[in-house]
Amino acid sequence: MARLLQIFGFLSVLFRGATLTFQSLTVGGIVFLILVLRRANPGSDPVREACLRWIRSSSLALAAMQLSYVLANSLILMQSADMTVADVSGANYVIAGAIGIFAALTISILSGAHPSRNYAYLLFPAAVVIASSVLTSHAMARLEFRAPLVAFTALHQAATATWLGGLPYLLIAIRGSQSTDLAQQLCARFSKLALISVCVLASAGFVLGYAYVGSFKAAYGTSYGAMVTTKIILFGVLLLLGALNYQLVHANSASGILSSLRRFGEAEIGIGITVILTAASLTSLPPAADLTNDRVSAVEIFARMAPRTPRLGSPTMQELPEDIYAAQSKAFESGSLATESFVPGQAGTRPNTPAEKAWSEYNHHWAGIIVLCVGLLALLAQAGNVSWARNWPLGFFGLAVFLFLRSDPEVWPLGPNGFWVTMADPEVLMHRIFVVLVIALAIFEWRVQTGRVTTPGVRLVFPLLVAFSGALLLTHSHSLGNIKEEVLAELSHIPIAIFAVVAGWSRWLELRLPSENQTRHLVARLWPACIMLIGVVLLNYREM
Amino acid sequence: MFSVRRRFFAHVLVFAATFSLLAASASAHAVLLESNPSLNAVLSGPDVPIKLRFNVRIDAGRSRLTLLHPDGTTIPLELAKDSPADTLSARADGLVPGAYRLRWQALASDGHITRGEIPFTVARS
Repeated sequence: MARLLQIFGFLSVLFRGATLTFQSLTVGGIVFLILVLRRANPGSDPVREACLRWIRSSSLALAAMQLSYVLANSLILMQSADMTVADVSGANYVIAGAIGIFAALTISILSGAHPSRNYAYLLFPAAVVIASSVLTSHAMARLEFRAPLVAFTALHQAATATWLGGLPYLLIAIRGSQSTDLAQQLCARFSKLALISVCVLASAGFVLGYAYVGSFKAAYGTSYGAMVTTKIILFGVLLLLGALNYQLVHANSASGILSSLRRFGEAEIGIGITVILTAASLTSLPPAADLTNDRVSAVEIFARMAPRTPRLGSPTMQELPEDIYAAQSKAFESGSLATESFVPGQAGTRPNTPAEKAWSEYNHHWAGIIVLCVGLLALLAQAGNVSWARNWPLGFFGLAVFLFLRSDPEVWPLGPNGFWVTMADPEVLMHRIFVVLVIALAIFEWRVQTGRVTTPGVRLVFPLLVAFSGALLLTHSHSLGNIKEEVLAELSHIPIAIFAVVAGWSRWLELRLPSENQTRHLVARLWPACIMLIGVVLLNYREM
Repeated sequence: MFSVRRRFFAHVLVFAATFSLLAASASAHAVLLESNPSLNAVLSGPDVPIKLRFNVRIDAGRSRLTLLHPDGTTIPLELAKDSPADTLSARADGLVPGAYRLRWQALASDGHITRGEIPFTVARS
């Protein structure tokens, strides 16, 4: 039963993520079509058709994902509370889901039949899609200031979809434009629209942040606050890219800038998705304003983060407590987890023992040494043109083996629990996915660095995987309560995630920007530096 | 042109897949802020009023309170209809002395479920 709930819980998370993706693509596409493409030259017909195709596909995918999400959530509710289909059908999330599915299907039909130059009617179902999403947001569940919070959430989501969801359509338009003039015209229009969207989403975000975080101390002392701060930092990176784009659009009219614009746009989409993911991660947490006890203080953060000698010796397996699964089950039976709120399928947590903490610190510190060396060699290969240093990706093999053996001592090959436990425990599964990612990263990038492959697609695997890993870290499962140790651990993981995202997209830009763009030289140094910084943060990771 | 489009399609698919794989649960879970009885409380019986307050609105029609008795039987409690939006209330009457566990499962109005357990004892009067 618990396993079944875990599986449905995991599926529900996947479907929700996909729903948010396609929601942004659908709404962003419609706004792009109406406000950016509408008044363009007649020569824009192929672009319009391509955009309509994408809107149609996105809205169909949105309906399918929304339906899957409602089904998975309903199965969890029916299984865990002995409810019938009739009992579940009136729940708020079911009604919201049904409205969203209806609106998405309406968009799909309207964007397919009788294409015309007037698409204003698509705005109504697009607004309904946003409304259905807001119905299942924090704002709807609040007790105070519900109406204004709902309004600001709707504005925040609509502006995000217009900007980040519209970006892929800008790239489609640049690619499909038959003339440079048309492409530049579209870029200039989108640039203005993006500027307005950024102002709206930042203003609405400020109000929501004030309502849900409430104080500066909560911004660093709670999981929710730390994630909001991360979102603001990534938003700053996005603004920087946006400013570079804005400058390109308004500085001159050379056709060469379109290529740079496309590349910056790609990086913006990637980082934008990371920001939306951070937002998705945020909404799974109770707002900081609701949890006023047990916040982490600045003194505690400084005490934890103060530099110390790395731990290079590990406790033995015998020093670790018994199998974590058995221990959790016992703790649950004895009622020691009773006040904790947790989702069905989870067994709760217990504080780590000193040996477990030492085990984890040892893991982080050795991983830090490997990553620091990798970053240093990458910088040597880039800046110093040292040929043997180009083998730096091989260092990731060592990291993969180390992670595989050490990250989950209770599971095979070190522990008594078999390999298949990996599939049922989301945390172990995430560690295993990381190992696969690191191996893939080593293979692809070593072949690229040593000139064994020159295919453009293969060269992009490394930046994508690094950025992917950063985003994965940001969505790492969070505790529902204010557990100090977990907040402190999150505070150390957040810089790693941000450096990984910046490293991934810097490398992407280095590979993709045209050679005449001077920013290439800057980003070529930036990504090895970010990898080194990840190593430094890992080396100073502490759990006690 | 076709291959360019296909390649771009592949890129966007990668972004979409990444997003889908990574997104954490996207709706807030209800967290228990205070309860009566409180954790490990020792109460005088036989009638015990029960009140659980959460940080958000609760769908009371789809939430559950059950009481695990000292003899191992589990009795579902009837939820009061007139509770505030963030509260689950019920009464457990005629409790004999012994150790009890109050199990709760709450559906937040945004669609997510949380659960927990509160052990308490009814003392001999």
